[in-house]
Amino acid sequence: MAEQGSQQENQITTGKKAVIMIGSLVAAAVYFTFLDWALMDMQGLDYFYLFRK
Amino acid sequence: MATLNQQARKKMWAFLALGTFVGLLFLPLFLSLPAGASGTSAPTAQAAADAKPVEKSRDVWFKTEGPVVGAPAPKTTDGPKDYPRYNFESRVLLWVANQQHLYYGSFVLAVPIFCLVVEYLGIITKDKALARKYDQLSYDFIKISLTAYSLTAILGGILVFTYLTLYPSFFGYLASIFRPVMHTYALLFVAESGTLYIYYYGWEKMREGFLKWVHLSMAVLLNVIGTVLMFLANSWIAFMQSPAGVDAEGRYLGNIWHVIHTTLWNPINVHRILGNMAFGGGVVAAYAAYRFLTAKTDEERAHYDWMGYVAMFIGVCFLIPLPFAGYWLMREVYAYRQQMGITLMGGLLAWLFIIQAVMIGTLFLTTNYYLWQGMERMRGAERYQKYIKYMVFVLITCFIVWLTPHTMVMTPAELKAMGGQQHPVLGNYGVMSAKNGAINVIITTTVLSFIMFQRGNKVPVVKWAPLGDAALVGLFAMAYINIIWLAIYGYYIPANVRVGLSVPQVATTLSCLFIGVTLNSIMLNGAKELGPTVWGQVSVRSQYALIMLATAFTWMMGLMGYIRSSVRLFWHVNEIMRDNSPWAFTHTIGFAANMISFNVLFFWATIMFVFWLGSLGVKKVPATAPMGQKAPVPVGSH
Repeated sequence: MAEQGSQQENQITTGKKAVIMIGSLVAAAVYFTFLDWALMDMQGLDYFYLFRK
Repeated sequence: MATLNQQARKKMWAFLALGTFVGLLFLPLFLSLPAGASGTSAPTAQAAADAKPVEKSRDVWFKTEGPVVGAPAPKTTDGPKDYPRYNFESRVLLWVANQQHLYYGSFVLAVPIFCLVVEYLGIITKDKALARKYDQLSYDFIKISLTAYSLTAILGGILVFTYLTLYPSFFGYLASIFRPVMHTYALLFVAESGTLYIYYYGWEKMREGFLKWVHLSMAVLLNVIGTVLMFLANSWIAFMQSPAGVDAEGRYLGNIWHVIHTTLWNPINVHRILGNMAFGGGVVAAYAAYRFLTAKTDEERAHYDWMGYVAMFIGVCFLIPLPFAGYWLMREVYAYRQQMGITLMGGLLAWLFIIQAVMIGTLFLTTNYYLWQGMERMRGAERYQKYIKYMVFVLITCFIVWLTPHTMVMTPAELKAMGGQQHPVLGNYGVMSAKNGAINVIITTTVLSFIMFQRGNKVPVVKWAPLGDAALVGLFAMAYINIIWLAIYGYYIPANVRVGLSVPQVATTLSCLFIGVTLNSIMLNGAKELGPTVWGQVSVRSQYALIMLATAFTWMMGLMGYIRSSVRLFWHVNEIMRDNSPWAFTHTIGFAANMISFNVLFFWATIMFVFWLGSLGVKKVPATAPMGQKAPVPVGSH
C-alpha cells in the first residue's frame, strides 16, 4: 500500500517531464559552455576567438 | 594470557616489518641529498675546490650552471670496443630483452594495486561471505604475481647483461650518471621483494582484526615502493629522450635531481602507471577468461566470470584516462622538440600511430562489446538492447574517423587522380580536430555503456529518480553536442588556439564519467531489482572479448614502446650521445610489426606457463553463491 503511494508520488505528468528535460538540457549547456570558456581562459586562449575576430 | 602475548608479539613483528620497509622507502630521499647524489663526500669536494678551480658548464635543459663532475659522453665507433656483437642484430636482442622485462614489470607492478583495492573492499564489506570472496580473490591475484615476480627479476638480469655485453660504452655512460639512482633502485628492489614475501606469506597470520589493517598497510607500502621503482627506471628512458642535468658534451653537472626530473619524466610516469594498470587488468581478465572457458562446473564458471569482470572493470577504469595521459605526453614532446613531435605524428613514425589508433579503437569496441554481452547475466537488462545498435553505429563511425590517415602512401598516378596528398573529403578527418572529437565520443559512449550495465537489472526508486534521469540525459546529450561542436570549431580557428580545445573536450568526457557514474550510482541506492545477476551465465564470446582485450593491450604496449624509443632515431641519448652502431636506422613498419608480434607471442607463451604454475596450487574454487541466486557484486557495479 505504502509502495503504491510512493509510486503515485513518483508519477510526473508529461508536461512536467518536458520542463524537467528542457531545464536539464539548458543546465548542461550552460555548464559545458562555462567549462569551455574557463579551460581555454586558463590556457591564456580566447574561446570566442572566431566571434570576436 | 599466552594468546594475548602471542597477539602482542605478532603486532610487534608486524609493526617492525612495516617500519623497516617504510625506512627503506626513505632511502631515495637520503641518497638524493647532495653528498649522496654526487658520489663524493662534501669535505673531499671542498678540498678539490681548494686545489684547482672547478670547471663550470651549462645544463642543456634547465640552463643552470653547475660544476662539471662527469666525463663527456663517449664518441663511439662501429667496432668490437663499443659494439661487440654476435652474428645478429644486437638491437633486436636488446629489444626482446627490454620488452619482456617491461611486460612482466608492468604486470607485477599492476597486480599488487589490484590486490590492495580488492583486499580493502574485503575489509570494508559488511557481508562476511562477500568479504571472504574478495579476500580470496586478492590472494589469487598476488599468487599469480609472485611467480611472475621471479621471472621479472630474471628478465631484468638478462637485460642488464645484454646491455653490458652488447652496448658497453653506452651503458657505462648511463651508469656513470645514474650511479646513485641505480644503487637506490637495487636496494628498493630488495625492499619490494621483502615486502611482497611478507605480504604473501603473512596472509594467513594477519587475516583478522587489527593485523589485517597492518597487512593492508603492507600492500600500500608494496605499491609505493613499486611505483618509486618504476619512476626511477622511467628517469633513465626519459633522460635518453630528453636529457637534462648534463652539458652539451654530456658531462654530468652534479645535480641528480635535474638528471632524474627531465621534462618528459612526469608525463611518462603518469602514462606508464595508467598503462600498467590497464595492461595488468587485461592480463588478469584473460586469465579468468581462460579459467572460465576450461571450467568444469557452474560454480567455477561463476567465480571466474566474476573475477574476469572485476579485473576488466579495474583495467578499464585506467584505460579511460590513458588517451589523455598520452596526449599530455605528446604535448610535452612537442614542447621539448617540435621536430621530435613531427617525426612521431606527422613524419617517419606517423603510420605507426595509425596502427595505434586501430588498437585503441579495438580496445574500446571490445570493452563495449564485453559490457553488452555481460548484460546477458541480468534479467531485465533486455530493455537496453534496443539502444545498442545506435551505440555500435556511433562507435564505428568514430572509429573510422579516428583511424583516418592524414596522408596516404600513393603512386604518382594515384596522387594525380586524387588531386593531391589528401583526399578531398576524407582528408578532413585526418586531422587532430576530428580525431580528438572521435576519441572523446568513443570514450563517452563507453561510459554510457557502463551506466547501462550498472542499471541492467535495476530500477531506481528514489523520489527524485525522474529528475536524475533527466539530468543524465541532459548531461550526455549536451556532452556529445559539445564534443562535436569543439571538433568542428577547431577547423575555423588558428592552430595555436585550436590545440587548446582538446582540454575542454577532455573535461567534457571526464564530466560524463565522474558526474554521470556518481549520479547513477546514487540513484541506484536501494533500487528495485528486476531479477538476479547470474554470474557464469554469459556467452563464451564475452570471454573471448576479454582475451582480445588483453592481447590488444599487449600489442599496443609493444608498439608504443617501440615508437617512443625509435623517435630518438640515431641517438643513444638525444643530441648528446650518438648511436654509431650499424643498426642506427629506423626499421620498416613491417619488420617492427613482426617484432612486436613476436614479443606478444613470447610473453603470452611464458605467462601461460605462469598461469599453469599458479593453477597447480589451486585446491578448489572459493565458495560462491549458487547459480540463479543473488551473487556478490564488485564496487561500482549494479
